[in-house]
Amino acid sequence: MSSRDTNVSRRKFLGAAGGAAVTVGLAGCSGNGDSDGSDGSDGSDGSDGSDGSDGSDGSDGGDETSLLRYGRGSHSPTLDFQNSTSGEVAKVTEQIYDTLINFEPGESTLTDGLASDYSLDGQTASLTLKEGVTFHNGEEFTAQDFVATYRRFVDSEYEYYAGDDYVSAYGPFTLGSWIDEIQVDGDYELTIQLTQTYAPFLRNLAMFAAAVHSEAAIEEYGTDLSENAVGTGPFELDTLDDSNEQVRLAAYDDYWGEGPNVDEVVFVTVGENSTRAQSLGSGELDIIDGLGAQSSQQVDGYDNAELVRTEGINIGYMAFNIAAVEEFQDRRVRQAISHAINTEAIVNEIYSGFATEASQPLPPNVLGHNDDLDPYEYDPEQAQSLLEEAGYGDGFSFELATFQNPRGYNPSPIQTAETVASNLGEIGIDVEINQQSFSPYLEYTAQGRHDACFLGWYTDNADPDNFAYVLLHPQVEESELTEGEDWVSFDAEGYNTSNRSAWANREYMDLVEEAQQTTDESDRVDLYNDAMEVAHDEAPWVYMDYAEELRGVANRVSGFQIAAISGPYLNLVSLE
Amino acid sequence: MFPKRFVLKRLLLLVPVLIGVATLVFSILHLSPGDPALTIAGERASQEFVERIRADLGLNDPIWVQYIDFLGNVAQFDFGESYVINRNTSVREVLADTLPVTLELALYGQLFGILFGIPLGVLSAVKQDTITDHATRVGALTGISVPIFWSGPLLILLFAQVLGILPTSGRISSTYNVAAIRVTGMVTIDTLIAGDWEMFRSAVRHMLLPSLVIGVYSMALISRMMRSSMLEVVRQDYMRTARAKGQGAKITVLKHGFRNALIPVVTIIGIQFGGLLGGAVLTETVFAIGGIGTLLVEAIEVGDYPIVQGTVLTFAFLFTLVNLVVDVTYSYLDPRIQQ
Repeated sequence: MSSRDTNVSRRKFLGAAGGAAVTVGLAGCSGNGDSDGSDGSDGSDGSDGSDGSDGSDGSDGGDETSLLRYGRGSHSPTLDFQNSTSGEVAKVTEQIYDTLINFEPGESTLTDGLASDYSLDGQTASLTLKEGVTFHNGEEFTAQDFVATYRRFVDSEYEYYAGDDYVSAYGPFTLGSWIDEIQVDGDYELTIQLTQTYAPFLRNLAMFAAAVHSEAAIEEYGTDLSENAVGTGPFELDTLDDSNEQVRLAAYDDYWGEGPNVDEVVFVTVGENSTRAQSLGSGELDIIDGLGAQSSQQVDGYDNAELVRTEGINIGYMAFNIAAVEEFQDRRVRQAISHAINTEAIVNEIYSGFATEASQPLPPNVLGHNDDLDPYEYDPEQAQSLLEEAGYGDGFSFELATFQNPRGYNPSPIQTAETVASNLGEIGIDVEINQQSFSPYLEYTAQGRHDACFLGWYTDNADPDNFAYVLLHPQVEESELTEGEDWVSFDAEGYNTSNRSAWANREYMDLVEEAQQTTDESDRVDLYNDAMEVAHDEAPWVYMDYAEELRGVANRVSGFQIAAISGPYLNLVSLE
Repeated sequence: MFPKRFVLKRLLLLVPVLIGVATLVFSILHLSPGDPALTIAGERASQEFVERIRADLGLNDPIWVQYIDFLGNVAQFDFGESYVINRNTSVREVLADTLPVTLELALYGQLFGILFGIPLGVLSAVKQDTITDHATRVGALTGISVPIFWSGPLLILLFAQVLGILPTSGRISSTYNVAAIRVTGMVTIDTLIAGDWEMFRSAVRHMLLPSLVIGVYSMALISRMMRSSMLEVVRQDYMRTARAKGQGAKITVLKHGFRNALIPVVTIIGIQFGGLLGGAVLTETVFAIGGIGTLLVEAIEVGDYPIVQGTVLTFAFLFTLVNLVVDVTYSYLDPRIQQ
């Protein structure tokens, strides 16, 4: 009996399966047909990007709200800027939060943010805060909010301290290491005592990681501020959608500053550069960033969008590990290699002209950049004679370490490395390329295991100190240095591993240290100018390029100000 | 009759398989270069900060202690907290967000493969060695050979750029806030549940190209399998009997042939599902659909170990589970399998 039952039900099952397949097949067909048909007739659905031809109704979707769609390469699953060092997080939190001091949109100069007045005198920073600014939760912004924010970030004795494994390295890096004490006088006066005279401090206050949380929100949500982001910025958080990798923001009507001019903003993640560009071309996105050379050319070809570019605040370089390779200890060898590498060709051919040749560690739009310095000219003959002078006329060999993935300052690392190898081959130097993926690569080079390596830097605060001190100062005690040598071992106590060249030039170090403690701007400019001349002549790096910032912007967007630091300034944007 | 013992036995077999996968993932990650503490801390961190994180994560413990801890946690479906991608969020939560995205894509791909693969296979078998048969074979081989990273962008170019009738990327138009109506995490289903036809239409239109791209491969495999299985069945005695008793060709093929030929195809469909999950990695990347595949690639790139472990184990679990379902279905269709 039972076997018969099984038999029957098995037949039924098979029959049903076959039937279902057919039914679903039909349904699928008719479903497709339906949607195709209505698509043709119904133009209102332009937001879908269906009607690439009909870009005008992109945002309407039937109702009146204006929606600005910002496309980028990665999602930002957290919106707590104290728990991340990611630039993707900053893009969103810049909309939701404010800093005490801001960067002028599109410039590297400072302007007022939540503070209407600010100054740095010796070790004391004084700030006067704006009155009448409100958070998205309705609370009024006062000096106490900044104190609570600061303590949540770096003060382990604070009740709402977010925890050692929660806060990011920006805690000590931007605030913690420099602030000795914060004094509050009334609701709107802040006096910050620093641990030492530190000229870049005000710029640190303009960084995204120094934005201000609401004290009430900190006390209410603790470490849960990501999905409950409460700021004073032009937009408030609507939905953080990890599943679709989108962040939706809504205009904050009581914003104290300029704008916002759109009702809603959505950050959309499209990982592939070319797909992201296509989405701009088909009207599905309004602004896109993270463009490489190829996708930039793609954007350039669209009728409904344009490529916007500006000088970036970054540097791409090849660092000599002076401690590891004896030949590099002779500066003539470093100069010879600088002359032998055809950076002009690299920038124009490999980077497609979306970068400019570098001459020194400081990019052009940073205070203290020395305009009198030119990039090392491509001159194999001079390179050869410098090598001979140094006693290495027969050449030598070294290992060039490189990461594999494109970075803004080096969009084709492997190709660049190959060019370097072939250029140096012409003067008898044999280069072996060692390529690695980025994360282990950083570790490898931070331990000083490379002979030479590619790297680059995007600035945090656009201060010259953020390049000159961070990347080329060894930061070790005097006792670690050897008289007559301009380098130090990676193993030295407290060595700053961000200095991948092991360079320890006393003249340079003195200049940079003094500049760090000089608050007078023109004096700083002079000091950095001198330091740059030393860095140029001594050539601890081969200065490769300053990469441009590139954005694709749809024609229906107006008021967009491209910015190399901070931003995007979406509060200034309107849609036509 | 539900084959309880059989299912139970197969379920128990899952345990050693998963332990094996867990061990493999753990070893690979711990043998590969890169310091997770450094990854978390970022380029700007001081040495002291990195040390503190290393201690917090238990990375200073002996490797076997870490391994035992890891297995213990995995047994409770606890993969720890994400290091980088979604810091201080449990991997489980991250997976809950991304898994439905991939499942939806894989399901539609599978549906596409079945709906087109089976009829094409039957057609080829019935019209063996005719032009139709050859055409389907060439089609199937092409389907298998064309890589997704090539066919994907090309289809986008054609349908979204040149013809302008389909969207380029994503799961649904960014105009719509699907997170607000989230139930299953699968957009086509959630929009249906919400009863919003505009949104549903947008979701379907977004899913068309990715499903096509990912489904072509399984369609090709299924149709080849269906063809050979069908040919085999056609030669069986009962088929001859059916024909001998004067039954029409259509009924013979569909009623007697098709049903029996379906059995081995079910196995292929199951195995294919694993392939679909793999194909999802590429498809998601090309179409900017942020599922578990994208997550895995990103996690490997940035060194987010817990996410890598969680994702790979989930993949393994799903794959073995699907195979189990296939085996059960199979034994149900053909009771001899159980013995």
